[in-house]
Amino acid sequence: MLEISIFTILALFILGGSIVMIINRQTLFSAFGFLVAMIGLAGMFALLDSRFLALAQIMVSVGAVVVLSMLTILTINAKPENLPLESNKYKWILFSTILVLPITLLIYRSTTALYQSFSTMEPISSKIVGKLLFSNWVLPFEIVSILLLTAMVGAIVIARNNNTKIDHPETEENA
Amino acid sequence: MTPDMFFLLASVLFSIGLVGLVSRRNLFVLYMSLELMLSAVNLLLATFSKVLGDASGSVIALLIIAVIAAEAALFLAMIIHLYRTHRTVDSDSFNKLRERV
Amino acid sequence: MLSLIVILPFLSAFLMALVYLNNTKKKRYFFYSLVGVGTPALSTVLSFMVGIELLNGSDTIHHTLFQWIHIGDFNIEVAFMADRLTVVMISFITLIGTLIHIYAAGYMKDDDTYGKFFSYFNLFMGSMLLLVLADNPIMMFTGWELVGLSSYLLIGFYHKQSSNITAANKAFILNRVGDFGFIIALSLLFVSLEGTGFTFESIKTNITMINPEMLSLIGILLFVGAMGKSAQIPLYVWLPDAMAGPTPVSALIHAATMVTAGVYMVSRYSFLYVEIPDIGLFIATIGAASALFAAIIASYQSDIKKILAYSTMSQLGYMFIAVGLGAYSSGIFHVFTHAFFKALLFMGAGAVIISLHHEQNIFKMGGLKKDLKLVYITMLIATLAISGIPPFAGFFSKDAILVTAFASEHYVLWGMGSLTAVLTAFYMFRLLFSVFHAKGKKIHTLQSIPKLMTYPLVFLAFGSTTAGFLGVNGSYGGNAWINTFLALPDLELHIAHSTEYMLGGLNVLLALTGIGLAYKIFAKEAKEVKADRLFQKVVLNKFYIDEIYVFFILKPLLTLSDFIAKVIEPKIFDGFINFNVWGYRRSALFFAKLQNGKVRYYALYILMGVSAMSCYLIFKLGVM
Repeated sequence: MLEISIFTILALFILGGSIVMIINRQTLFSAFGFLVAMIGLAGMFALLDSRFLALAQIMVSVGAVVVLSMLTILTINAKPENLPLESNKYKWILFSTILVLPITLLIYRSTTALYQSFSTMEPISSKIVGKLLFSNWVLPFEIVSILLLTAMVGAIVIARNNNTKIDHPETEENA
Repeated sequence: MTPDMFFLLASVLFSIGLVGLVSRRNLFVLYMSLELMLSAVNLLLATFSKVLGDASGSVIALLIIAVIAAEAALFLAMIIHLYRTHRTVDSDSFNKLRERV
Repeated sequence: MLSLIVILPFLSAFLMALVYLNNTKKKRYFFYSLVGVGTPALSTVLSFMVGIELLNGSDTIHHTLFQWIHIGDFNIEVAFMADRLTVVMISFITLIGTLIHIYAAGYMKDDDTYGKFFSYFNLFMGSMLLLVLADNPIMMFTGWELVGLSSYLLIGFYHKQSSNITAANKAFILNRVGDFGFIIALSLLFVSLEGTGFTFESIKTNITMINPEMLSLIGILLFVGAMGKSAQIPLYVWLPDAMAGPTPVSALIHAATMVTAGVYMVSRYSFLYVEIPDIGLFIATIGAASALFAAIIASYQSDIKKILAYSTMSQLGYMFIAVGLGAYSSGIFHVFTHAFFKALLFMGAGAVIISLHHEQNIFKMGGLKKDLKLVYITMLIATLAISGIPPFAGFFSKDAILVTAFASEHYVLWGMGSLTAVLTAFYMFRLLFSVFHAKGKKIHTLQSIPKLMTYPLVFLAFGSTTAGFLGVNGSYGGNAWINTFLALPDLELHIAHSTEYMLGGLNVLLALTGIGLAYKIFAKEAKEVKADRLFQKVVLNKFYIDEIYVFFILKPLLTLSDFIAKVIEPKIFDGFINFNVWGYRRSALFFAKLQNGKVRYYALYILMGVSAMSCYLIFKLGVM
């Protein structure tokens, strides 16, 4: 009973946060909604007995990604008039929600169908995850580390202040 | 407590991400919607990992978290770059691919 | 040996064409004459060797050169076959062809395009020999088409004058009409034989498996092909116009090659026509009609070559009477004798034309008897032969045909044939008297005739006199050697000798009547026919057949083409296409709007697609 109530509260947090995120005009408020949703997801992982995953979620998603996003938003510090106007935002949201509904239904039905034969529920310890990560999944793990390195290099290259404008013809066009 | 609820939550979360991706023009919101969709998948993986008693699901979820991080780095860098060159975070203004008759 | 007969003329044609194209200005008279005349002579020798081989007992000679097409059951070989019919054909084709070549060497001496002429000439010979020696219908058709091509080239030889080109086109197009029938007949034959082989011999053995209706259709269509090549009603109109070519060409077309192809073809398919006597009767009727029709027109013509052209058509009509009634040997016999005297007549006419500086109107000639003595004598022999006066060649062959018509109780055909005989004698002697006897209209300064042109005349005069003896039948004390030799599936006729004598006598009498009539009107002074009476007017204008063709076939076709070109094509077809283009452009503009470069629209399109697929999976397939 306790678990269900915890789940409900977490689900409300997650859904509320994400809805706030996609509705709000102010970017920083959206980021806050996103933050709430991420924290809620970490709770969900904990509820699913994946403590390691919950920790990783907190550390990476909340501690790194969200904070990094907020920092970027603050760095750019776009004024409200610089933000897109989006006058018919709600029409779009309504329309795409209608379109999305069958997809939601399909995902839900497919996953529940997969679950039909599952019954056992046992905890997954960090120890097992770690063992797997460095035995069966060691190659993807290493690839991910390279991916992260590449992403870091790429991010630096892209975000670097480039004085030579030859590489960016769109600048001239827009100016 | 059944996994059905987790499945439903993950589906709805994914759909909200999709709606945000399609209907918003703010690049930050697009980026966060993408992350949300990835996280919804993560939730599904974790749930299956739990109900199957197989830790592989958790491992993949972990790897996806890493991907989320990498993506965040790149995406944010691109947003900064685009903002520098265009002075805007409106996705509709990046329409170089439009047809010209 | 067999294939050499065909290949040699083709090779020499090719060789001369190469040499000619190498330098069109250079004369090289000796070289062209040697190759151009030597090759047919060589072919003649080879043909006679084949003939001797057959005389010594062998039945047919085959020679396969190579395999041409082999697809499943369909097997066409480039092969030659010489049976008795073929041997008779190739003997006189090569012999008379060679003589005409010798004549042409004199006739064309001063022409700048001497080499080209002989190249075409040898090509013509080769094509005809290919047609005759073919082992299967496909090869025969190849030869058939090549004959059409080379006749086109030769009729339009003097291509500087546009009317000659028109004549060549006319000949070619009318032959195409005939070829159309021929090729459909071949296709039907092939389909109905169901792949049991497509050589003449295998067709002959399997002919009974085709039902009579199909056989009749094939027979008629084959005859349509023969109509085109052999100038029968209604496809004859090209023949008089074909006189546009040089005179040796006319001689070659009329005597040795092209026009006899139709008769040969019907005889070659005699095994087929034996099964369908009704079609045979149809052929005979067409032949008789053509014979009479052409004879009437010939009686009113004034151009020396056109008279001869119509007389050829008339004689071909005789041949078709014979082959139609099943007397194939008689038909081929008449082809054989006709080749001699018709070649002679054309060569004589050519000599006259040359000596009179290309004057062709017989009423502007006259009194040439003394000046052109040799030509006169030889032409007289030929005229007697074509009129059917014994003992010249024409009598025996024509008599055999008329006796056949009489004995098979087709009295109408016989009557038409006899009437034609009178007219033949009349118009031929009309020509002879006008040219040689009647008073000269003006003093001619005659051009000398090359010696080369006169030798063949003498030889052919000898042939015209004696060729008939090969086929003297029983009642005249002969043994109809050529009929026995040919061994074609002839109709068995039983007729009393007395009747035959009577018919023969009647023929001579009719011919004499014609001659007498011609003597009375034309011997003293030849006057051009005035078109004052309706009948004369109609005949003089060749029954307005050309005009009728123009009015009923050409005009509607042109009007239809005009209508299609001006209304249907721009309005309907172009309109339809333009409408489509317009539609595409409009829809393209519409769809182009979808591509606005904004990513969220693209995402929306993807979402729409995925959503539709999800709906399909859920509601249609009922996932879960």
